[in-house]
Parts: sequence; structure tokens; C-alpha cells
Amino acid sequence: MKKHKVTICTGTLCHVMGGSELPALSQFIPPQYLNQVEIKGSPCINHCKNQDMKPPFAEIDGDIFCEATIDKLVKELIKRIENDS
Amino acid sequence: MFIDADYGHKPKLGQIVCGDVFMNEKIKNENRLVAVLSDGLGSGIKANILAKMTASMALNFTVNNQPLERSAISIKQTLPICEVRKIAFATFTIVDTEFDGFTRIIEYGNPQFVVFRRNQLLALKTVVNAENELSVSEFNAEIEDRIILFSDGVSQSGIGRKDMPFGWGNCEMIKYIQNKLTHNPHISAKDLQKTIISRASLNDNLKPQDDTSCGVLYFRTPRQLILCSGPPYDKNKDAQMVEMVSNFPGHKVISGGTTAQIFARELKRPVEVDLSNVSPELPPIATIEGIDLVTEGILTLGKSAEILKNKEHNGVSSNNPAMLLSETFLNHDKITFLIGTRINEAHQDPKMPVELEIRRNVIKKIAYLLEKKYLKEVEIKYI
Repeated sequence: MKKHKVTICTGTLCHVMGGSELPALSQFIPPQYLNQVEIKGSPCINHCKNQDMKPPFAEIDGDIFCEATIDKLVKELIKRIENDS
Repeated sequence: MFIDADYGHKPKLGQIVCGDVFMNEKIKNENRLVAVLSDGLGSGIKANILAKMTASMALNFTVNNQPLERSAISIKQTLPICEVRKIAFATFTIVDTEFDGFTRIIEYGNPQFVVFRRNQLLALKTVVNAENELSVSEFNAEIEDRIILFSDGVSQSGIGRKDMPFGWGNCEMIKYIQNKLTHNPHISAKDLQKTIISRASLNDNLKPQDDTSCGVLYFRTPRQLILCSGPPYDKNKDAQMVEMVSNFPGHKVISGGTTAQIFARELKRPVEVDLSNVSPELPPIATIEGIDLVTEGILTLGKSAEILKNKEHNGVSSNNPAMLLSETFLNHDKITFLIGTRINEAHQDPKMPVELEIRRNVIKKIAYLLEKKYLKEVEIKYI
């Protein structure tokens, strides 16, 4: 089964700009989908140098999401998982 | 040789402050450490003021190289004598020790301090000056020696109990300490001081009948720690920074997301963030093989400075990154900060929260606290 890879930035900037709740993402994913998602953290995913995007950042399968919230990420994940099937 | 010094006290039941005072100061350019324990007569605020007065006089006289005997006599003459009991208002012990080991201890009215060489009690030559009741001891301290100072609240704890009518007593106390040192030969000054005090208060059924305090000076080979935070000013120095940390003989800590990534890149090892244990307060810790602790930078350092300032650490290991970092600082003697000076552009936006302080200022604050409050040897290197 294909797993969707999520990388959450836990860097300083993302943390203070509203990303402090993101590491708890797994608790908000519907339990039936949990085994199709792999969540990782990173000390910094280096998008903060880019002035055009706003933190907090997260990546799903390599695609960047700025101003990420748990709600946004969960919706995107469900969309991707349902597209697979 | 490094001297690990710590003290603790418990006030008499019902009092909010302790009538015993312990002060110490490291004189960096003379390689000396001076420690004073003073016990004010009675308990509560009055005793605390008397003891503090005595201790600060003793400390400052000694730091300024007044001969020990003379300062002791001056203090004695300054102290008022209790009219009822005809004894001085505060007792004191002064320890003046040089880092090569030469140590002098002057005592007035406190219970006899003890010196341990590994787990054996060291017999000291003590000269007693009968006229002014001062006793002076001199010896050459070696590595793994410990000087233990305590107030009579420790040696007389449990007084009146059926099994110890005269209290714990020096003999039993020495046996207790000896036992601790045999089982745990490298116990830190903090832990030893804590066990002695908790045992003394246990003797009193956790209701101390007198102010109980204990200070420990532990001579040991320094435990070294390096903390690396921030990317170097010049990108070409990344490898040099990683090499300096990798070759460091001691504990290694990285504080900062970008810094962690430089290490991961240069060492070709993955950096993993532990998401199982997160608090909304601070970003989680990460792991890189070969590095003992990896935390986020400025927020964790700032919080850690706050913990060190308010003495909030309780000795219990926790998952809070700032608490872990503070514990790591306190468990080491010689701390090197390797600070990268490149400015993080992303932090310079005035819209950012004020917690994003300038790295160098936070490091300076931590270094100051470690040096002054916790008597650590600190060095800051910029790269």
C-alpha cells in the first residue's frame, strides 16, 4: 500500500508562527487512514528563507504547504488517500 | 582540578526562611574558591539576617585576602552576644581553597565539618585557638576529595527520639555518608547534599526541629560539555565547526534547527525529530547519532535561561527540552559555547514575537548565570 509522507517543520519560526500544534497531527487523522500515512518531523525544512511564503510549513509527498494547520493537512491527506482508491 | 560546589537547606518547621546561610564565590583570576556556612542563633528572619551578615562579611574579607584569623576575629567582635546565653549570635565556617588543592578551613561554633578522601574520612591537623575559640585546619585536597559542611540541624536531627536520644550524631552521620560514597563514588555535590538533608529531615519525622543545611565541595576532574548553536558566519566554516564538536572530549549538545541540519549534512547522518513527546510550549527534541542532545535554538535557550535564573530545575528528568538542557548544563563543570554568528534573516522581521531574541545575548545570559550562580567554568567561542 502506498504511504503518504508528511514532514512537519518544528523549527523556531514555524513554531512561533502557529505551528506549535502541528506535531500532534496523527491524533486528528481518522483512524482507518492512519496506516497509510507516515509522519516525520524536521528541525527546519528551509522554506522560511523564502519571503513569498508564510510559515508554518509542512510537506506532503514533497509538496509544500504554507500557513499549514491541522485542519488543512488532514483534509489534504484524506483527499489524497481517497484519490488512491 | 574542578570544584563542584552545591548546598541546600530546609528551614525549621513553621519558618519560611532558613536561619543558616551558605555563600560561595569563585575568584577566577586567582584560581580560588571561598565558601562560607553561617548559622544564626535561633530561627526565622532574625537568624537569617544574622547569618547573612556574618556570611557576607566572612566571604568578602576572605575574597579580599584578609588573613583568615583576622577576619574571623573581626566578625566575632562585630557580632552581638546574646545576653541570656552568653554566646555569639552566629557561628561560621570559612573554606578557602585554591585549585591546586591547598585548603584552609576556619571554624567558629559550627559542628566539626568532615573531609572524605574517596570513601574514607580524612583525619586533619586542627589547631584550636582557645582564646577566641577558633579552630584552623589545613590540608592539600586531591581529586575525589569532598569537604562537607553542615549546621547543627543535621548532626542533631532526631534529637529526643527513643532510638537516638542525642540525635543523629557525627559518628552515625559519617557512617551514612561513607556508605553513600562507597555505593556511588562519583555522586555530585548536589545529590550528596540532597541525600544528607533529606535523611536529616527524615530523622525528625519530616518536621525539622532546627534549620538544617548542608554544603558540599567536591574536587574532581572536570566534566566537559560543548553547546553548539547557530550557523557559522562564513559558510566555508561549516565543516570546521562540525569537526570541532565531533572531536570534543565530552558531552555534545546542538541547539538550533539550522545547526542540526548542518551537522546532519556534514556527518551524513539522518536527523530525526521525536514527535511522540511534544509540548505546545517548545519545539520537540531531535536525535543525531553521536550527538547527545539536539534541541531547537532560541526558544529553548531562552526558556533554559529562565529556568536557571529561577532555580526551577528539580532534579527530576523530564521531557521538556528546556528542562533537559538545564539539567545537562548543571551536570557538567566546564562548558564551552560554540556560537555561530550568521544572522537568521527569517527572524529579523519586526512582526515576529519578541521571544526571538538575539542569540548572542541569550548565550551571554546563560553563561553569566552558569558562572555566577552555579560556579561553572564557561568559555564562549564565536565562529
